[in-house]
Amino acid sequence: MSLGLREILNKHNGILSGTSACPGCPENMAMRMLGMGLGKDVVLVVVAGCSSVIQGNAPYNAYNFPTVNVAFAAGPATAAGLARAYKQRGKNATVVVWAGDGGSADIGFASLSGAAERNDNILYLTVDNEAYMNSGGQRSGSTPFGAITTTTPEGKKENKKNLPLLMIAHNVPYVATASVGYPHDYIEKLKRAKQVEGFRYVHVLTPDPYGWLFDPSKTAEVAKLAVQTCYWPLFEYYNGKLNISPESLHCLDKRTRRPVRDFLSIQGRFKRLTEDQIKILEQYIDSVWEKLKSMLDNQ
Amino acid sequence: MIRKIISGNEAVALGVKLARVGVTGIYPITPQTTIIEKLAEMRAKGEIETEILRVESEHSAMAATFGAALGGVRAFTATASQGLLYMHEMVWWVAGSRVPVVMVVGTRAVGAPWNIWNEHTDFTSERDSGWIMAFASNPQEALDLTLQAFRISEDERVFLPMMVGMDGFILSHTKTNVLIPDQDQVDDFLPPRRQPYVIDPEDPIGMGNIFPPEGYMRLRESIDSALRNSEDVIKEIGREYNKKINPLGDYSTLNVSYKLEDADYAVVLMGAWAGDAMEAVDTLREKGIKIGMLRIRYLRPWSEKEIRSALKDKKAVLALDRSTSFGRGGGPLYVEIKSTISDVVPQIKGVVSGLGGVTVNKSDLVYIFNKFVEGLKDDVIWYYPKEVGKIELRTPRDIE
Repeated sequence: MSLGLREILNKHNGILSGTSACPGCPENMAMRMLGMGLGKDVVLVVVAGCSSVIQGNAPYNAYNFPTVNVAFAAGPATAAGLARAYKQRGKNATVVVWAGDGGSADIGFASLSGAAERNDNILYLTVDNEAYMNSGGQRSGSTPFGAITTTTPEGKKENKKNLPLLMIAHNVPYVATASVGYPHDYIEKLKRAKQVEGFRYVHVLTPDPYGWLFDPSKTAEVAKLAVQTCYWPLFEYYNGKLNISPESLHCLDKRTRRPVRDFLSIQGRFKRLTEDQIKILEQYIDSVWEKLKSMLDNQ
Repeated sequence: MIRKIISGNEAVALGVKLARVGVTGIYPITPQTTIIEKLAEMRAKGEIETEILRVESEHSAMAATFGAALGGVRAFTATASQGLLYMHEMVWWVAGSRVPVVMVVGTRAVGAPWNIWNEHTDFTSERDSGWIMAFASNPQEALDLTLQAFRISEDERVFLPMMVGMDGFILSHTKTNVLIPDQDQVDDFLPPRRQPYVIDPEDPIGMGNIFPPEGYMRLRESIDSALRNSEDVIKEIGREYNKKINPLGDYSTLNVSYKLEDADYAVVLMGAWAGDAMEAVDTLREKGIKIGMLRIRYLRPWSEKEIRSALKDKKAVLALDRSTSFGRGGGPLYVEIKSTISDVVPQIKGVVSGLGGVTVNKSDLVYIFNKFVEGLKDDVIWYYPKEVGKIELRTPRDIE
């Protein structure tokens, strides 16, 4: 990390030593950056998932925030209740829901959608490792086409559910995507989100060495490749306007995109993909960018 | 203090107002819907300061109420039937977190098939969840128990959530004369909220992360002992309620006896049909039959001491259930009563009736009680009143 980040880190260290995270864990990175981005006056609501375990066993806790653990579909409503209680008590707090892709895209989607529709004053964070990693890597709605998981040993047959676009469709004040490969971008977005009143959604891609099958030393590299190959677009939707983040601007032109193979070949979960299947994945990436471009054209 | 003719649901809504609830998580389901509608209306008129969180499901209603309670304010919700079953996961989560929360359940049948009418099975199915569970028998008691629930659940000797049941439609939608206390009286009875811990932004404590096996088991034990020890607290608070708010109510005991002292026979039941049962008891008494009634007001804690001392010298006891415990024969009250007094009472019988809105009136109860006193062959009977005789499967009449 750059010197600039170290300076921010000193302000508030969101994660203490002694976590139960696996080596190369991207969620640990995302949590550390959360502290850098949001600082103090944060209350964390952790939905069932890897992060329920990473914080360690009671009576200890490695998260340096007030932390409430809840059942899968309970995150947004619990956070909304907390936010209302602080409003009544005149307390200043950013209530953050921290949920995995399973908790957000699947089992918890109704409560996420409900909180967004109500414009509850919370910051919802999806840490997306593209499968139910805490229970051993089963398919989720957020798993991409072709990926091998323990419940799709032949490779997933459906495309990834696009949560960030779904949240934009909810018409909330703030939506952003991020990747742990680009800490500056992610932290800047968190800082901006903190200033916004109402429902805020940040979706951060967190490549998992054990589910995606790559060497744990390469987490940041895979997270970067996801962006460089345009598989994972970085953008911000704020004040009703979409902005493609600098790291993803090259994706607007198909000719300047890095081949998606560079992202696929570094992981084991795509090893069964045929040439035709890679084309299907490329078509999916194209379709996402077409949607983003049409949004840009129409604003 | 004023008297008003109001429904059970209105009585509960007034209780929530008087308790100065901070946040209410609401989601409609028959028959409790008019509670939350009334609260929303009071809020819109500026009569209450309660924040109303209109969530998208009952699971979220309990989660929102839980979050608000953790955030340090008094929190309330209401539900019924499928709604209670849908929030079941969070019902347990709240009890495990030892955070004071109050919920009212307008009891109703559980599907499938669809049936919106009164029954107690939704309520009784939560009996192992770690909540204090009281059940009202009229709108007055629904109000009284709601107010006491905040005080009980926020008592440092308890610190557990509490739910108050009331019969759907029979109480929720029927208007009766209710004594409504003044705000001053309630403020005198109900001190500012206390809770074991508050999640505050400046205090980085963790709640609910993984507990190793022994620690987890010790926490479970602490819930069990807090619930059992709550008996004395409930009586103490009940006495104070009698004194400060409702001199006509009797909350000095958990459960309520009627003509039990000299009785040879006893009937045990819960909820609104206690009114008809008391009249049926009187009818049998007129014929010289020494029968009495014990109304279970607190399903949890289950007061073994009170119930044993009320029933120990009886010749026979009949448990009348408006709910099911499939595969066990009889309903939950029958099972509980059996486990409590089977060593001291020679005959314990069970009748299941009134499910899914089946109307059981005084004459049915007179019939059932008479048959019980004459001696029932089967241990448990599912009773169908005459009006639905055409679809009757088996009644005491067939036993002859």
